[in-house]
Amino acid sequence: MRPGGRSRLRRYRQAWVRHAILLAWTFFIVFPLYWMLSTSFKDAGEWVSWPPHWYPHEFTIHNYRQIFTFSALGEELSRDATEQAFSIWKALGDSLLICSVASFLALVLGVFLAYAISRFAVGGSKFRHIILTIRMVPPIVIAIPILMYYAIMIPFTTELLFGARITLFDTYFGLGALYVATTLPFVIWMMLSFIDEVPFTLEHAARMMGAGRMYTLRRVVLPLVASGLVVTYLFVFILNWSEFLLALTLTHPEVTTLPVLLNKFQSASEGRLYGPQAAIGTVITIPVVVLGVLIQKHLIKGFSFGMIRR
Amino acid sequence: MAGSRQPAAAGAAPPSRGRPPPGRRLAAWLSQERVFRLIPFIAVEAVFILVIIIPFILTIYISLLRWRANRPFEQANFSGFLNYGRVLGKDEFWMALGRTFYFAGAAVILELLIGFVLAYLLHRHFRGRRLYITIFLAPMMVVPVVVGYNFSMIYVDSGPLNEILAPFLEPFGIDPRIRWLSHPLAAQWAIILADVWQWTSLTFLIFLSGFAALPQQLVDAARVLGASPSQIFWRVHLPLLKPAIIIAVVIRSMEALKMFDPVVLLTFGGPGISTQTIAYYLWQEVWVFNKYSYGAAASILLLIFFAVFIFLGIWLLVRQRESVRRVDV
Amino acid sequence: MAEIVLRDLVKHFGSAVAVAGVHLQIEDGEFLIMVGPSGCGKTTTLNMISGLETPTSGEIFIGDQVVNDLEPGERGLGMVFQDLALFPHMTVFENIAFGLRVKKTEEAEVERRVRAAADAMHIGALLDKRPSECSGGEAQRVALARTIVNDPSVFLMDEPLSSLDAKLRLDMRTELKHLHHRLRATFVYVTHDQAEAMTMADRIVVMEGGRIEQVGAPLEIYRRPASRFVAGFFGVPTMNFLEGEVAAGAGDGLEFRSTRVVQPLSASTPAAVAGSAATLGVRAEHVRLAPSDDGAGRVTLTEPLGDETLVFFEFGGSAPLVAKVDPDSPLGPGDPVAFDFDRDWCHLFDPESGARLN
Repeated sequence: MRPGGRSRLRRYRQAWVRHAILLAWTFFIVFPLYWMLSTSFKDAGEWVSWPPHWYPHEFTIHNYRQIFTFSALGEELSRDATEQAFSIWKALGDSLLICSVASFLALVLGVFLAYAISRFAVGGSKFRHIILTIRMVPPIVIAIPILMYYAIMIPFTTELLFGARITLFDTYFGLGALYVATTLPFVIWMMLSFIDEVPFTLEHAARMMGAGRMYTLRRVVLPLVASGLVVTYLFVFILNWSEFLLALTLTHPEVTTLPVLLNKFQSASEGRLYGPQAAIGTVITIPVVVLGVLIQKHLIKGFSFGMIRR
Repeated sequence: MAGSRQPAAAGAAPPSRGRPPPGRRLAAWLSQERVFRLIPFIAVEAVFILVIIIPFILTIYISLLRWRANRPFEQANFSGFLNYGRVLGKDEFWMALGRTFYFAGAAVILELLIGFVLAYLLHRHFRGRRLYITIFLAPMMVVPVVVGYNFSMIYVDSGPLNEILAPFLEPFGIDPRIRWLSHPLAAQWAIILADVWQWTSLTFLIFLSGFAALPQQLVDAARVLGASPSQIFWRVHLPLLKPAIIIAVVIRSMEALKMFDPVVLLTFGGPGISTQTIAYYLWQEVWVFNKYSYGAAASILLLIFFAVFIFLGIWLLVRQRESVRRVDV
Repeated sequence: MAEIVLRDLVKHFGSAVAVAGVHLQIEDGEFLIMVGPSGCGKTTTLNMISGLETPTSGEIFIGDQVVNDLEPGERGLGMVFQDLALFPHMTVFENIAFGLRVKKTEEAEVERRVRAAADAMHIGALLDKRPSECSGGEAQRVALARTIVNDPSVFLMDEPLSSLDAKLRLDMRTELKHLHHRLRATFVYVTHDQAEAMTMADRIVVMEGGRIEQVGAPLEIYRRPASRFVAGFFGVPTMNFLEGEVAAGAGDGLEFRSTRVVQPLSASTPAAVAGSAATLGVRAEHVRLAPSDDGAGRVTLTEPLGDETLVFFEFGGSAPLVAKVDPDSPLGPGDPVAFDFDRDWCHLFDPESGARLN
């Protein structure tokens, strides 16, 4: 009995230590998010009071009203900040448009290439890795050439050819095309891990029955990787939704994504507008975190990079 | 049984059919293997060439000019490799580069260690495991700008961090309202901490997938053979997790070297230049000071410099995958 | 009509040669089984007939048409795969209807033909289930129904029974044979299981190392294997082999000499083999055993099979031999035995090439 009791004691202690560590990390993860949420419901006086308020003493949704309303705003905001606050609807629209369309295009292109790589080893056996190099190049290194390309070379060329200066700088197309190119490697990688698992013989069977390759792809392969398509799309959408550097450097004032808008609040000359900022932060964080939780199970598979093989 | 209505071209049609209609011919053409394998390849390569390769060629050209935004592009003079010399001769460039490696190194090491410990603690089922996993993965989804913003609120002089520290500082007569982001070292670690907050989730995810991929029979076999938990960990878990570790190291290192968002959000490179990463430095040179040719040259140099790391990373990944395949067969 | 001719078929995978020149004529309506160990090229040959693999060189005729450049679906073949390849996201009905839908058959016609095929395979009750809800035998029938419904003149089968358990496999053999009789279609069947080949085939093609070793009716292959490889591949237990040489015997015939064995050979043995080294092959049922105190052999093990008993015995040669004896035989381990071989059933092979000598 003694050894059994001791091992049970040890197991209790292990469980206790484990939960202590996990809870500590949970606190570290949750606290900044909680603080944002709580600040978003605080009135201006409470934003930076000392000692800080752990929870809003005067609960208000004023901050949310400020960022979403079109009409006259709270008197404590300067004119400058008011104008910025106006733009959230537009930024939300811009972000949604660019991210959803660019993610979709990247998905379509990437799925076809992933299929070709998986089935025909297109580009050689190392091609799937070479594709990742694109993703590894720091965005700033891409941003500088793109700036010159969009703002100089394309207007210059179009003027020569068509007599009109067409710029891609600060356009939906310009930023979207870049998002397609930078997320393609991820689409290909994630879809490869799904497509690799569809047995060849299913396609062989379909082709023996007279189905063409497109028909086979549409009726056999794609339905079988449907969950992979959804997960990949959502993941790439989140990547684009979060992207900051390229949006900051290649757009504005015409096109503004949410991260860029939030950053402008941060650098507002009137001192930091913590409340509205927290409200925007909450608004743009909640949808992606919810999406993330929805695809969580599949992410573990998508990120296995071929480690999990059945 | 065969049915009298055989469509002209599809399926098991008799060999004596005429020329198929154009739509069918297109479908047949699309069905050919060489078409099917090359078209997506060409399409994707075209995107890369148009969006990545051509701009780089243009950038090489611009880097050879002497050009700032105060003058039209067409009037810029050719200056040879002057810009490259100026980039390489600039202390700030090298310091920003060194700082980037310092941030990335510190952050990645912390992320790997913490991510591994968390994945190890969570790799077996127990009550509450799913909830922990959900929480630990959440930071990955949070927009990085929001992370930077959140931490700026926590580090602020009258923020919650100082309130937590206050009981330890006030007895010594220290004003707890420390302006963390005004001290170079503290500001640097503030940025590293924000990165760790966000990206430990990724290393955690990769290690969790790694643990999920562990063949459980091997662990059971080791246990049956009488191995102690620590022996199982060092002799079975760790070697089998090598692929996951390599993937985590490569991916996180590459991403950490790009560090930009928290710098902009938290410190604007300050105090002084003590938190300028290479991405921030170049952004400032080009977008704030409009030194286009200089930025172009620096960008090319940086790409060459990073190419070494990228190929090292790719090589590690390829080798890892091939070793997995060998085990598989 | 549905006669298939393979002319000098070769397939390379990179530097590896999978199929090294196969000539074969498959008659209309026959049940032909290609058999051989894994890696012998049988599946690759089948895949070249089906069109899933492109031959490196050589020609494939179906009827009198060269089909090398036809897509798999255009050759009028049906195929059953080793893993059955049922579409997991479709119901059994949709699986069976797949080929008809590809051909844009009318819905009423689809319904009618799917039901007919399902009834023929006795799976009419399963139509609304998913393949994952079917048992192994049911899935097998679904796969067959899916092929039958397209009414192909040739059925290709790639080890279709290998996923079944032993009992079911025996039942399905009989059923496949019935199916073949009923459909009167050409069956080309690939397996590594010699028993499957023996029981079902009209003709067997034995392959090894990318080449055809022998083509013939099952009994012909069993009784007159063309090479040592074929002799060893067919039959349970494996044929006994002895290394030795052929020499002129005491009488006017030849005899085979090996360590402690002198075996007279039948009169039909060609005289040309005299004086050369040879491998003698003899099946267990052609080894005669008799209890004898001064016999050369000693029983090491007996395996009663019910209708007969296998007796393994040592005789001082390089390997033990096995004999089939009556189940009531009193022989047990340790018993000394005398043995000799039925001279009409002794097979001689070249020890180098493995080719048959007599």
